[in-house]
Amino acid sequence: MTTQIGFAGAPAQARIVRPSVLQQIWASRADYLYVLPAIIVMLIVIAYPIYYTIDLSFFETPPGLQLRDKNFVGVENYATILSSNVFWRVTLNTVIWTFASTLIAFVLGYAAALALHRDFAGRAVLRAILIIPWVISAVAASYIWKWIYHSDFGILGAVMVQMGLVERQPNFIDNVHTVLPSLIVVNIWREFPFAMIMIMAGLQTVPEQLLRAAKVDGASTWQRFWHVTFPYLSGVSTVTILLLAVANFNSFIIPWIMTGGGPSNASHIWITHIYELAFGRQRWGVASAYSVLLFMILMALGYFYVRALSGNEKREHGA
Amino acid sequence: MRKPRLGRALVHGAAVTALAVSTMMSTSVLAQSVDISQWSPEYVRSIAGTEEFDTAAQCGAVTPLDYQGKLTFWYQGVFEGDPDLLRQYYKDFFVAFRETYPNIELQEQALTYNDLLDKFRTALLGNAGPMMVRLQILGGVEFASKGYLQELSPEDVGWKTEDFWPGAMKSVMWEGKTYGIPTNNETMGFIWNADIFERAGLDPEKPPATWDEVVAYSKQIHDTLGIAGYGLVARKNAGNTPYRFMPQLWAYGGGVFDEADPNPTYEEVRLDSPESKQALQASYDMYVRDKSVPVSALTNQQADNQPLFLAGQVAMMVSHPSDYDVMLDLQAKATGADKEKAQTVIDNMRYGLIPTGPDGRRAVVFGGSNIHILKPEYVDGGVVDEAAAKAMTCFWTSPEWSLKMAYAGSNPGNLNGFKTSWMKERLENIEFLDVTTAMLPYGVPFPALPVTPEIMNIIIPDMLQNALTGAMTVDEAAEDAAQKVRDLTGGGGL
Repeated sequence: MTTQIGFAGAPAQARIVRPSVLQQIWASRADYLYVLPAIIVMLIVIAYPIYYTIDLSFFETPPGLQLRDKNFVGVENYATILSSNVFWRVTLNTVIWTFASTLIAFVLGYAAALALHRDFAGRAVLRAILIIPWVISAVAASYIWKWIYHSDFGILGAVMVQMGLVERQPNFIDNVHTVLPSLIVVNIWREFPFAMIMIMAGLQTVPEQLLRAAKVDGASTWQRFWHVTFPYLSGVSTVTILLLAVANFNSFIIPWIMTGGGPSNASHIWITHIYELAFGRQRWGVASAYSVLLFMILMALGYFYVRALSGNEKREHGA
Repeated sequence: MRKPRLGRALVHGAAVTALAVSTMMSTSVLAQSVDISQWSPEYVRSIAGTEEFDTAAQCGAVTPLDYQGKLTFWYQGVFEGDPDLLRQYYKDFFVAFRETYPNIELQEQALTYNDLLDKFRTALLGNAGPMMVRLQILGGVEFASKGYLQELSPEDVGWKTEDFWPGAMKSVMWEGKTYGIPTNNETMGFIWNADIFERAGLDPEKPPATWDEVVAYSKQIHDTLGIAGYGLVARKNAGNTPYRFMPQLWAYGGGVFDEADPNPTYEEVRLDSPESKQALQASYDMYVRDKSVPVSALTNQQADNQPLFLAGQVAMMVSHPSDYDVMLDLQAKATGADKEKAQTVIDNMRYGLIPTGPDGRRAVVFGGSNIHILKPEYVDGGVVDEAAAKAMTCFWTSPEWSLKMAYAGSNPGNLNGFKTSWMKERLENIEFLDVTTAMLPYGVPFPALPVTPEIMNIIIPDMLQNALTGAMTVDEAAEDAAQKVRDLTGGGGL
């Protein structure tokens, strides 16, 4: 910010003149130089693929032709997707998958974090055990669960039969009605430790003196949680839910390895369907249009994520 | 360990072979390096070990052995369902190549059947392919039609076109030009567990003669013993599914197009024909009506069915002769009572010809792999070392290595491989090889069209899954699949 003083003889008037954008950039040129390499990398690995995907979404890419022989079709790919029955079924699967996985993983993680926040013997061991699903490879976990669920010889079904819960081996992943819930269970098992860790970190920020004061004032355990702990965790909870939602919209490994989207498309979600359209069926144009739609949804989620982070920062700084 | 009944079945099979109308014989057979018109287990035995081949000398005439160069090579390699014996031959092959061509810097990369197409397609989009590739038989036409491959014929690497099965050569042809060379060609056989047959009240040495009998036997086994009768495979995006369903489809007289006819045109879609629906109905009857096959068939691959067979939980399946070696490998890894149980199953393994349809039609997928060289503009670095690529092509398609690389589960692409001493040794060491060599003349190649991978890997499994899960009726599933094929060949559809 600079101050200009009027010439002699002119009415004495101090005027604040904001520098131009270019002047501001020049003034901060060293800062821009520091972040330039990162910006270049971002442009190459993020911006260009986004541009290319959007561009490709307006072209038809027949499976018998090379990609360079694509034909411009305008928004026809979007119309093809939106008028496809499979798309709406896959979309419903994706919504169920994302919301169920996110909410249940979050609730379980929240509960586990509260339980592990209390001091008891073996807490550290239990915490380490609960983190295992999150740290093991998703690919390995998918194969293990595929055998656990095996419709003929899965251990889960065998145990259920042994315990008298069912008469015959249940069909978990070879049935159009049970396959998606079965995969969601695996996903929740994989993700709830992440929610648990986030909430445990958030719990460290809840002031002990506030909880003690509430206790002295006669607040019950529930009241202390609801009026002190819960509000303090709202920021980290929002971030956790958004991160889980984004991860679940982008899920690929578990459904692809365990069922390949089957049987009869019953466990296809957007990413697996996009992958099949692009790499299995070479409908690059349609798959790109699909990806653009998904990108728009994720950008909306990203917006809320950034807003939630900004809100957290304001709260932390007492703004 | 061959059984007398099996021998009779093979003799019968050999007799039928001579009469079989096969697309593989649709070109002149007399010019072939071996006489395909005489094909039978006995004929194969008679020519085994009758000729010597010097691979280094023959390939040295194509590319000098001291040639200095560089080669990048992707190939469909061994996977979890292959026997250890095959793994060893793959290792030996690359050791031998490097010893023969010490100055060629080779960067090879093995990929599994289900991953190779996706990865190769992706690499080509970025002009980052390898200099050469060995693809499954249904992949070559797709890439040739798009212009990614160089013309390459057996004559380019010192062999003759007549050294290879005519049906296999069709799979590397596009618009009258040749774009690759077959490395191996195979047909499967029918495996059953004689002990289970006996316990279920069936003749232990008599396999089902027709697919209708497969359905009936499967039900009888399931109803009597409570285990799966037939090892159905219906997973999506898995090569195992079309390899097992198409023989059934063709046997009933159906097809995707007219690919099982002597001179196919691939113009008429037949997936919704009454015969195709009958074939699909047979799978429906086993999975839904009788519940006589593994419930896990919709997510299983053949590699998942192998342990079930070894555990005595599946009585019949369509597979390679290599399954015998796979069972031995699995049995060696088993412990305690499992080991004994596995041995019982191995002792009771029987191989026969794949069943026929109601009118006696017998068919099997004429499978295998082909080797191709890419055009430089699609290769990482923009250069193809053609001499090095031809050296590798010659080496793999030689009588010696096309036999050794197919030792346990397939057959040599180069027909001269049948004349080698290794073939003689193989006939003595590999159980049930006779059956699958006897099946070769019944082989039907997949349609030589660029869209075939999508039809076989996605549309056919989708059709099965739609019918077997009840998402559609059998008629609806067949008609839906036929429409998808029509849309696909017409350039549209989602």
